[in-house]
Amino acid sequence: MKRSSGPVAALALAGCLLQACSSSGSAKKGPVIGVSLLNVSNEFIVMINQAMDAKAKELGVQIIVNDAQRSADRQVEQVESFIAQKVDAIILNPCEVEASSPAVDKAIAAGIPIVNVNSETRSTPTAFVGSRDEEAARIAMEYIAKRLNGKGNVTMMQGFMGQAGQIKRDTGAREVLAKNPGLKLIAQQTAEWDRAKAMSLMENWIQSYGARINAVFAQNDEMAMGALIALEQARLKDKVIVVGVDAIADALAAVRDGRLDATVFQDARGQGAAAVETAVRIVRKQPYEKSVMIPFQLVTRDNVAQFH
Amino acid sequence: MTKTRKWPPQLGLAIALAVLMAGLAAARPGFITLGNLVNLVRQISINGILAVGVTYVLLTGGVDLSLGSLVALTGVIAATFAHPGEYAVVVPVSAGIAAGALCGAINGVLVTRGRMAPFVVTLGMMTSARGLALLASGGRPVSNLSTAFTRIGSGDFAGIPAPTWILLAVAAASHVFLRNMRMGRHVYAVGGNESAARASGVHVNKVKMVCYTVCGAMAGLAGVVLASRITTGQPNAGIGYELDAIAAVVIGGTSLNGGTGGVSGTILGALLIGVINNGLDLLNVSSYYQQVIKGVIIVGAVWLDRSKKS
Repeated sequence: MKRSSGPVAALALAGCLLQACSSSGSAKKGPVIGVSLLNVSNEFIVMINQAMDAKAKELGVQIIVNDAQRSADRQVEQVESFIAQKVDAIILNPCEVEASSPAVDKAIAAGIPIVNVNSETRSTPTAFVGSRDEEAARIAMEYIAKRLNGKGNVTMMQGFMGQAGQIKRDTGAREVLAKNPGLKLIAQQTAEWDRAKAMSLMENWIQSYGARINAVFAQNDEMAMGALIALEQARLKDKVIVVGVDAIADALAAVRDGRLDATVFQDARGQGAAAVETAVRIVRKQPYEKSVMIPFQLVTRDNVAQFH
Repeated sequence: MTKTRKWPPQLGLAIALAVLMAGLAAARPGFITLGNLVNLVRQISINGILAVGVTYVLLTGGVDLSLGSLVALTGVIAATFAHPGEYAVVVPVSAGIAAGALCGAINGVLVTRGRMAPFVVTLGMMTSARGLALLASGGRPVSNLSTAFTRIGSGDFAGIPAPTWILLAVAAASHVFLRNMRMGRHVYAVGGNESAARASGVHVNKVKMVCYTVCGAMAGLAGVVLASRITTGQPNAGIGYELDAIAAVVIGGTSLNGGTGGVSGTILGALLIGVINNGLDLLNVSSYYQQVIKGVIIVGAVWLDRSKKS
């Protein structure tokens, strides 16, 4: 419905609904799932959406996708209209932890199962599908530990201090550092997720530590790219391992070209597919997991071709 | 208050800078090395160019909050024309600077003809330009830039980084313009006392138009240098850059009320901020403390400068 445009199409659809609503409903039989997504102009969310469409087709269910355009208010309204339409289940890709919570509360109160995908709300949904940021950092740091045989000097570029992503990625990285006493965190500093700031920070670290730095873990790919460019310009890249998180297009290209050592891929398609599958299981009263964690994947030159 | 002798401008600031650098050199021998000094002047270049530009506007008693967004917008526009094998490098550079100048001119028109407060006008521009940067780039970084373009940010000449040469050129030109040209002196007149300037035949609106346009053009230049340095046009780049630039100008002795100050002080101010950033990174001071220390040093430097002058 959302793709059709123009009054003619709308009239045709309205006619269809009046005339054949009951017959199409009984012919299809499959459950209907309402989906409210954070923002379909975000590349990552678009991938979640595509995976949901594919999975729904495979399982023979109908999904109605609404775009909340980053507005939690709009998201709550969308869920209210799903409830009014008496959908069988709702999938919520929350805009905000607090402000999207009423959507979860209302669905639960109406007795409609609701599955949160990718990020959390304060209210507890029927099930949650997503990934753990700690794990991304753990994978990145473990790769560094392996490359350095558990011994060497590491620096860490933090995200914006105090944000959930920064805190969780910091926690994950430190878990690995604690297990590898040979790895020494000689410097850590925020570059606020920003490539230009990361570049200046790396230049300063090069002045301070030079070739004593064996590896840089940047909590996102933007900062990893900044560190990479600074190291290349100082002709030190062949001596320092650089790892980021997120698998953005630039970082994947850099891994492919052998410039960036690794990044960590968050599996949008896996999350979208698992969300639909979980929702369908709940509707069909099959056993389901309340918390489905989709693993991150390490991307290096060996497997970068699988990602795009 | 016992000092009645007039201090040369910026002497207090120069002393503060020297003391800070001496302290850093003592704490970290790596601070005063040729490598780090080159590093330092490269890192202050973008903020320096922005600060020189906003000096014009602050001298008239105005303000420009749109600088950071303009850096993003012009960087994205420049990057769009900078893919390898498409245009000569002069095209992206001119496009970036022209886009900045255009936005600056719009600010100028709204401030003069529209009779609106510069704070409001440039706040609107800050928001709109950020949106335009996202629109122009589709929300994604514009990458794959030609080496001719990226050399602007990474190249050097006679051992000094190219961005620093650019900063030196715009600072020298601005210094001469503001001190020695009739229009430049009118900038001070407008900032000092607008009614008096108007009464004595200064085209106040024309002067302000020039200042806002130059400021926008400098933001465009800074956007080009940044995009070249980080090898992408980033729609979310430059957030908060206007505040660092304004801080550099104010530390350098230019009054927020307009009329007094100048480019030489602005360069010292930019150097001070650069030394703080670089020095605290070299000392590996924690991120939380860095913010506190930066704030204290900025206010301290201005206080020292003002008290020496009185």
